[in-house]
Amino acid sequence: MARKPKPTKGGFVQTIVEVEGRTETRTVELPAFEPTPWTDDVELHIVGTSATRVDASEKVTGRARYTADIERPGMLHAYILRAPIPRGTIRSVDAAAARAMPGVVAIMGPGDAPSKTRLLGNDITYAGQPVAVVCASSVREARNAAHAMVVAYDAAPFAVTFKAAVAPDAPKVRAAGNVNPKSPLVIARGDVAAGLAAADVVVTGEYRTPVALHTALEPHGAVCEWDGDRLTIWESTQGIFRVRADAARILELPLSKVRVIKDYMGGGFGAKNGAGAHTILAALLAKQTGRAVRCINDREAEQIDSGNRPASVQRVTIGAKKNGTLTAIQMVGDIPLGISGWEGGPAQIYHELYACPNVRTEETFAYINTSGMQAFRGPGYVEGAFGLEGAMNALARKLNMDPLALRKKNFAKKDPRQNRPFSGNALLECYEKGAAAFGWDGAQAKALSVVDRERLTANHVPTTRRSSTSKRRGVGLAAQVWPTGGGPPSYATVRINADASIDVLAGTQDLGTGSRTVLAQIAAEAIGAKLTDVRAIIGDTQSLPYAGNSWGSMTTPSVGPAVRMAAEDAQRQLFEAAATMLDTTPDTLEARDSRIVVRDTDRTMTFAEVTKNLGNVMISGSGSRGPNPAGVAINTFGVQFAEVEVDVDTGLVTVLRIVAVHDAGRIINPALAESQMQGGILQGVGYALYEERIVDERLGVVLNPSMHEYKIPTMADVPVITVLWAGGSDTAANHTGARGIAEPPIIPTAPAIAAAVADAIGAEVPQIPLTPWRVLAAITGTR
Amino acid sequence: MCRAAFKTWRTFDTSLTAELFQLMRLTVNDRVHDVAPRDDETLLELLRDRLALTGTKLTCDRGECGACTVLLDGATAYSCLTLAVSCDGATVRTVEGLAPPGSLSTLQQAFIAHDAAQCGYCTPGQLVAAQALLDHSAHPTDDEIRAAMSGNLCRCGTYPKIVQAIRAAAEAGAGVGPSAASTADGAPHGA
Ligand code: FES
Ligand code: FES
Repeated sequence: MARKPKPTKGGFVQTIVEVEGRTETRTVELPAFEPTPWTDDVELHIVGTSATRVDASEKVTGRARYTADIERPGMLHAYILRAPIPRGTIRSVDAAAARAMPGVVAIMGPGDAPSKTRLLGNDITYAGQPVAVVCASSVREARNAAHAMVVAYDAAPFAVTFKAAVAPDAPKVRAAGNVNPKSPLVIARGDVAAGLAAADVVVTGEYRTPVALHTALEPHGAVCEWDGDRLTIWESTQGIFRVRADAARILELPLSKVRVIKDYMGGGFGAKNGAGAHTILAALLAKQTGRAVRCINDREAEQIDSGNRPASVQRVTIGAKKNGTLTAIQMVGDIPLGISGWEGGPAQIYHELYACPNVRTEETFAYINTSGMQAFRGPGYVEGAFGLEGAMNALARKLNMDPLALRKKNFAKKDPRQNRPFSGNALLECYEKGAAAFGWDGAQAKALSVVDRERLTANHVPTTRRSSTSKRRGVGLAAQVWPTGGGPPSYATVRINADASIDVLAGTQDLGTGSRTVLAQIAAEAIGAKLTDVRAIIGDTQSLPYAGNSWGSMTTPSVGPAVRMAAEDAQRQLFEAAATMLDTTPDTLEARDSRIVVRDTDRTMTFAEVTKNLGNVMISGSGSRGPNPAGVAINTFGVQFAEVEVDVDTGLVTVLRIVAVHDAGRIINPALAESQMQGGILQGVGYALYEERIVDERLGVVLNPSMHEYKIPTMADVPVITVLWAGGSDTAANHTGARGIAEPPIIPTAPAIAAAVADAIGAEVPQIPLTPWRVLAAITGTR
Repeated sequence: MCRAAFKTWRTFDTSLTAELFQLMRLTVNDRVHDVAPRDDETLLELLRDRLALTGTKLTCDRGECGACTVLLDGATAYSCLTLAVSCDGATVRTVEGLAPPGSLSTLQQAFIAHDAAQCGYCTPGQLVAAQALLDHSAHPTDDEIRAAMSGNLCRCGTYPKIVQAIRAAAEAGAGVGPSAASTADGAPHGA
């Protein structure tokens, strides 16, 4: 019965996978068969519909269980005490008072964690670093006891800015040196000097972006429990298998003895990609106490030490011919990473967005005495877009050219970096559609009269937000590219139960993006079932086949094809069984709404009738994600147009509306995709206008580690957002035709808003967030 | 009844005595509970840790985000800033009590229909705040919605869809208001 499909291919091949701008070569097994591509002319019934989120009712009733809601018998709570200074050594710890406090069960201080954990050492390298952890019956007792500990420090000089870290006499932030060993990281094509010499017009600018904090509503956290030598971890994570690997490595356990579970999580945005100090300390305390231990960051810890988007300074030079043709792009960047991090700098987008023969970027990454960076939605590209698109808009002004025309002129027909064809690229369509929807008039934006703008926006903007005398309107745009091909390895199983209900099993996770729903839709479509008959089971390393982290906008294009293949495999088996019952051959059968029909006849059977006949015969289909096409660039593209109002008396910027048009291939669920767009754009609004982690340079501590002082947009800050799609099914990327969409929307928002502000006030503000002070300084020319 | 909202975390008090507890009675989602909270215990801790009502979320613990919003005698309150002992005799409604078990309120249905929950972590607070708004203003304008809801943060960016959901719920008659217990501006208590 459960005969596997005959392999049409076989063996292992190498394939290239791009993760957040980094390219990896992976060896993968070829899938046993490759489903027929869902091209645009294939009629689909469930994929492409705005099905409601399959877990929505859990979320609106409070039944959805997040990590902090996990309660285990006898569970204890851990609270981490953190260093108040950025650099130094711990001289002494007096925990006597803490130990005597009610509810306290265990305390771990400096030197108490195995060296392999690299936790609770004596050396302090950033403010917020874990120093000790208290385990007690309640969080409050643990926290009170932690703050009753007396820790004496020998403070040492520190560096919390790029400049301080690279100074000749700088304190040693890291023993091996303050500059990351790959620095300066140079990526170049052509000859920038020659390109600049050939330019008619050259613009230069220095663009600055802030440290931004993920600020997910659910903080990082884990619950750890041992059963003999087996460890179970409930963790709010974007990567259950990566948490498993981290925990197994650090705690020296075989992978098979670590189980990681993630059911619901309250956002990640890149900061929840592995096991953290909270995970490992909870596991150690759980071992020591013989009880389950829950350790959840409080908000201050979350804002100080759970990752951030690093700041950047980008010195940009762009040369162009009079007609706008780019001759050279150069960017020299300084990026302070924090105490740790990878080279996720702003460079990539400079090489990928425009056709330009001569491009050179040089990035220097410095370690500083602040918490380490982590990927944050569109890492590097978000920062880079502000510099590149800012300079492109400055170039358009200098050329007296429509910034949209400038972009069209330099549209890259092929991946300009590696000269590969794109799997699909509808950026020109994005430009056209966006301009039409926004009312971009084709000329230099400044040429629009105030009256025209009123007319254009009257239908879109709430009446209370119309201009008054001190207010000026402006419009601007920016474009985006982001690698979203996804790739292997990723596996799925689709089971048809005896009552014809269907389980989709995939070891991926839903961050709030909607992957549970999207995968259920893909499976229902592929197998021919009603969506309500399909349940996606995700987030458990013990019982589910491997999937990678939900990062890099990869989940839909990576796991989706595996789920589709598994569903088709299950359908094939179901059809074989049904064919004997219907006295026909499987190739005459088709399925829809959980019903099998013999083509061109009125003979039919429901899935349930077939499975009832089969009894407990288990139909189980397996699928895997095949390799990526060789020599093809797979990207999501897009453009955003912004209109703002600037109060020239106060410098206050209000974003009135954003029109976003992106090409992400096939859209599996338009409503959920629109939600992703709105979310990314709103984070972009925050990045443009409000968000900035402030570190005191004299004390080396974060000054705004709260949601009041680190401002994210509220409902009152929301512009009118129009989301449109361009392009169509991208079956050159994978057989579902879908690329990723989670990260692209945040990339062009800030530069589009900055361009609109420049248009409104007649001066560029090359530093975000565009605070009233910075805007006023630009208006008065006193920056 | 004292509803003063003040911050108590990082209490260094180690003199645990009987006076730290107070036996009290409150009604949560139409059920009566007798509890003896510590004097530094918040309503949020009482709900989540004693009554296992984990729908109400802890995000900031200091009145900045609205994730912990509940209805306290009909008005929105940040439960992380509300001392449990101040709720003696009070009536509390949480997300779990917005509709009878097994059913969904009009507002909850509208949140589902309009995809107003992404990760869902802010959603319980959003729903409670939105219901409070509808309770005192059956047909709020968009500006009223914005004003009433801007104390509830959402990092996933569901705001546009929450506005749509509230509008749709209002049209479907989710607002019965004005009710006597609501605050004038619908803003969370202690905001
Ligand atoms: S948790 Fe109460 S307002 Fe944030
Ligand atoms: S839905 Fe995720 S924070 Fe609001």
